[in-house]
Amino acid sequence: MTETTTAVPAPRAVPAAAPTGEDTGPAGGSDPQTPTAPELLTPEEAARALTDAPVRLTRGFLGLDPVTQNTALLARHIGDREIQVLRYGEALLGYTVNPLQPRQAHVATTSADPAPLDALLGFLADYQRATSFVAEVPEGTPVLPALESCGFTPCGVLPGHLFHSGRYREVLVLHTDREG
Amino acid sequence: MPLVTLRHFTEDDIPVRTALLREARFQANLNDLGVVTSDEALVARQRKAIAEEHDVKRHFTLCGPGGAIVGFAWISSIDWRSQCCELSFGVLPRFRGAFGAAAVAAAHAHIRAELNMRVVVNQVLEHNTMLVSAGELAERRAVRCPWDSYTVGEWRTACYWTDSEDDVRRRQSSIDRRRREIADRIRSGGRT
Repeated sequence: MTETTTAVPAPRAVPAAAPTGEDTGPAGGSDPQTPTAPELLTPEEAARALTDAPVRLTRGFLGLDPVTQNTALLARHIGDREIQVLRYGEALLGYTVNPLQPRQAHVATTSADPAPLDALLGFLADYQRATSFVAEVPEGTPVLPALESCGFTPCGVLPGHLFHSGRYREVLVLHTDREG
Repeated sequence: MPLVTLRHFTEDDIPVRTALLREARFQANLNDLGVVTSDEALVARQRKAIAEEHDVKRHFTLCGPGGAIVGFAWISSIDWRSQCCELSFGVLPRFRGAFGAAAVAAAHAHIRAELNMRVVVNQVLEHNTMLVSAGELAERRAVRCPWDSYTVGEWRTACYWTDSEDDVRRRQSSIDRRRREIADRIRSGGRT
């Protein structure tokens, strides 16, 4: 992937105010500095952006972990797994199409604000004909409100799916549909 | 905040580590590859480690207060499934006394808490008492291997041992106990 141009249109509905607070993470979407269109990152840019973001928001982002993987390894995984990462304001969004079900996408966000994620789902519905979306988030993730606001509902728990900070962690699996 | 923290080794760190590879005691205590390898080749090896070998050989930069580089650690012979690896250190000369023990602790803590390693293999050449005293080396070694390495014109004997989680816990308890005893002695004005 070499493109650095816009791939996702601006959100169709941006809330008047982004959530604030210590643990909500980068807002994105309603910041006055937020660009009108998300920017598609190269694997190297994506790896650097994930490394620079707060670790509480990025550990487990589509199976990546900037704490244990350096930027070169992150970039390689992003490229090998055909993960697309976009920057929207301060939020990072990611998706990868399920090769066994091409109308299903695994998605991730670093923002508790639902607007950037909603824009991504809209883009994937419009341009990838995606109708099924899956997210996997580690227990205690601050981005859960964004997923819930976008219609994701929990459909399972993977016990001991991740190990970090000295113990195995549960991963919550969420799903939503957008029929096309 | 721990005295020493650990982060990924980056290209910006290469000149500092290259200088360490050229340092006399590093060469005697670990390997003297730096003597016979060109600057370009040393840089290329380290770049390759960053860009291509992170799955099999992982380098870390050890930082003191304010982010100053105090040394480097690296793990090799990584067996992810068996949760076992070999851990090596190189502390910059000016920080060896002040940060050596903290650097070792930081590296052990990271590879256990974040990389989920359960068993760490240690190798120390017997003459090297910078981080482990001669007495402790004799006590902890499981294998003493003469003629193990040839560095700076001499054959070296190596000591090998493994550290399991129980070993680390026991050693940390012992360190904590010694610290408490010293603190108690200070509080009591030296009266026992």
